[in-house]
Amino acid sequence: MNLHRSWYVLSRELKLSPRSPLVFFAIAMPLLITFLVSSVFGSLFDVSPKLAVADLGNSEITAAAVHLDGVETTIVADVETLRRRVEAHDFDAGFVLPPGFDASIRAGEQPELEFYVSGASLASTRIILAVTTLDLVREIEGSEPPVTVVVTPVGNQDFVPISDRLLPTMVIYAVMIAAIFLPAASLVDEREKRTLDAVLVTPTRMSDVLVGKGTFAVVLAVILGFVTLALNGALAAQPLTMTLILFIGSVMLMLMGLTLGLWAKDITTMYTAIKGGGIIIFLPVIFTIFPGLPQWIPKLVPTYYFLQPIYDIAIHGDTLSDVVPELAIAVVVCIALVPLVVWVARRSERQLAMTV
Amino acid sequence: MTGSRIAAIIRKDFREFSRNRFFVFITLLVLVAYVAVFWFLPDSVDETVRIGVSNTILSTDVGGVTESGTAGFALEIYASEEELAAAVEEGRDGIVAGISFPPDFLESAAAGEASTVVLLVPAGLPAEIELLLEGAVAELAFGLAGVPPPVDPITEAVVLGTDRAGNQVSLQQQMRPLILILVLMVETFALSSLIAIEVQQRTAVAILATPVRIVDFLAAKGIFGIGLAFSEVVLLGLLIGAFAVNAPAVLMILLLGAVLVTGFGMIAGSYGRDFMGTLLVSMLFMIPLMIPAFGALFPGSSPTWVMALPTYGLVQALIRVTADGETWSQIAPSLLLLAAWGVATFVAGAFILRHRVATL
Repeated sequence: MNLHRSWYVLSRELKLSPRSPLVFFAIAMPLLITFLVSSVFGSLFDVSPKLAVADLGNSEITAAAVHLDGVETTIVADVETLRRRVEAHDFDAGFVLPPGFDASIRAGEQPELEFYVSGASLASTRIILAVTTLDLVREIEGSEPPVTVVVTPVGNQDFVPISDRLLPTMVIYAVMIAAIFLPAASLVDEREKRTLDAVLVTPTRMSDVLVGKGTFAVVLAVILGFVTLALNGALAAQPLTMTLILFIGSVMLMLMGLTLGLWAKDITTMYTAIKGGGIIIFLPVIFTIFPGLPQWIPKLVPTYYFLQPIYDIAIHGDTLSDVVPELAIAVVVCIALVPLVVWVARRSERQLAMTV
Repeated sequence: MTGSRIAAIIRKDFREFSRNRFFVFITLLVLVAYVAVFWFLPDSVDETVRIGVSNTILSTDVGGVTESGTAGFALEIYASEEELAAAVEEGRDGIVAGISFPPDFLESAAAGEASTVVLLVPAGLPAEIELLLEGAVAELAFGLAGVPPPVDPITEAVVLGTDRAGNQVSLQQQMRPLILILVLMVETFALSSLIAIEVQQRTAVAILATPVRIVDFLAAKGIFGIGLAFSEVVLLGLLIGAFAVNAPAVLMILLLGAVLVTGFGMIAGSYGRDFMGTLLVSMLFMIPLMIPAFGALFPGSSPTWVMALPTYGLVQALIRVTADGETWSQIAPSLLLLAAWGVATFVAGAFILRHRVATL
């Protein structure tokens, strides 16, 4: 291996990258995934009851409803809008406050409250919103309940909300596209277009090509992983530790990508292999999202050993020393992958020699 | 246009598609994975909040809430506060939180004297459940003290739309159309790759040097694309029980969906310069086309811009038939919208591909 020639391959990759749809894909996808996961899927799993209020008389209840914790309250203009949107299940329930409602309640009367529930809302959501509404009206009534409620936390309070549990999903996307897809597709593309043959008739050897392409993939993957963590506010004030972990993870995936790129006979085979094998690479993130699943299963997958440290540092506040055992296994996996890459590279070189 | 020429091109495309055994194997594997994921999803909706209580004070009907609970609210009784705390911590019996009443709660509340009730909450308890518990305890105490509620939103609520209480659409049912649409979308890429290869390797030129006319070529690509997408999605539909309700309507929707994605496949395949270019163009189409399907997972009506997307009719028609059991006449507007988009996209795809092949 010659570092000068590897640098030449790397600079060629850098020069060509602005024109490459693959690099654009590698950069755009993590940003898109971050947006989708954080804005769409986070709210998919974390749905608060939705309440609508049509206030026809400037009631104090409306202001109190807007400030409810755990209920999304929206003020709508009129009864017609409220009914239409509740029926469409834009809201789980809604109520109409007629003029003079507050005064009537304070006078000890029992005015009629139009309370609508969406047919598609859950029974539990209906009872939550009904009891909450009743509670709001009681506040206006001014009557204190003959009971004091004391909230006592029970058990392990180390709860991680779903939005945080989705962090590894975003990181694996960011790193995987750059570290696996990029070098694999680049190698297959060069083989298909025979530009690799052209490069190899010069003093440049296959090892120089692999180091150049691998370095480009790792640098891009680390940058994209870092940006993804930063966008999600998950650097946990340990940017250097995160960079180190991302580097180890990127190297691991890059070695897989090189193996795949050297093994796949064409781009369709490579894409299909990623489509099929992707589930194994992604397996740990499923177990992070659903912590109730048996947690020994993701430990069988190499990507666990860099995703878990990132998760532990970002979410649980661990430090580098806490995650050393996992990282050590990740490094061992990287070392174990090197002979595989060498073997596939030699096989590929022999095949290229036969076809030249 | 000649049938035999079209058939010959379709045979060639099918041979190329099936020649790569690895590709076929993985395609089947992915299909199996979709089916496995589908059957792994919960097929029912638990609409009940289960609460543990440490006392049997609710053995009598108090304000409509008894030991058996009420709609959406169920109670589990535990002998002591310690036992209740352990149950809350372990999530035993599906309880999400606990209420520990003091032994003299009934008497104190009835006398209007304030007593202290302890809410045992685990980490991560949604704020709305805490609101429910606090409100329920307060109402219980009010009821015992003989203070009637000023309003009654529980029993006097008006249900708007089809009342699905006790018969909610499960995640499995919600995901059924989404999975079918996902497979159709992936076929956009499969077809675009086949077309892109034909364009890149200029085999299209070779084919057109024979008596095959451009119209035969386009018809063959269209039929093969529709056939590929339709057969795969029908197979998947059979495996996930998509034809249990109004099968002819589901078949028609899937056929029109196949026409739609074939049109996009032809457009993407015409513009893709190489594999990655084709993938990128396909993704540019696939991402916005997936939005109506993902949007359907969320409750409520879709924003206007989502309704303008070509797959909106496809998603709506599929959901209305498979989840809501609607009839032909009820889904007619969505079906017409889908058909219009399908024909427009197919014609646009054929036109663009024709232009691309002509410039080779």
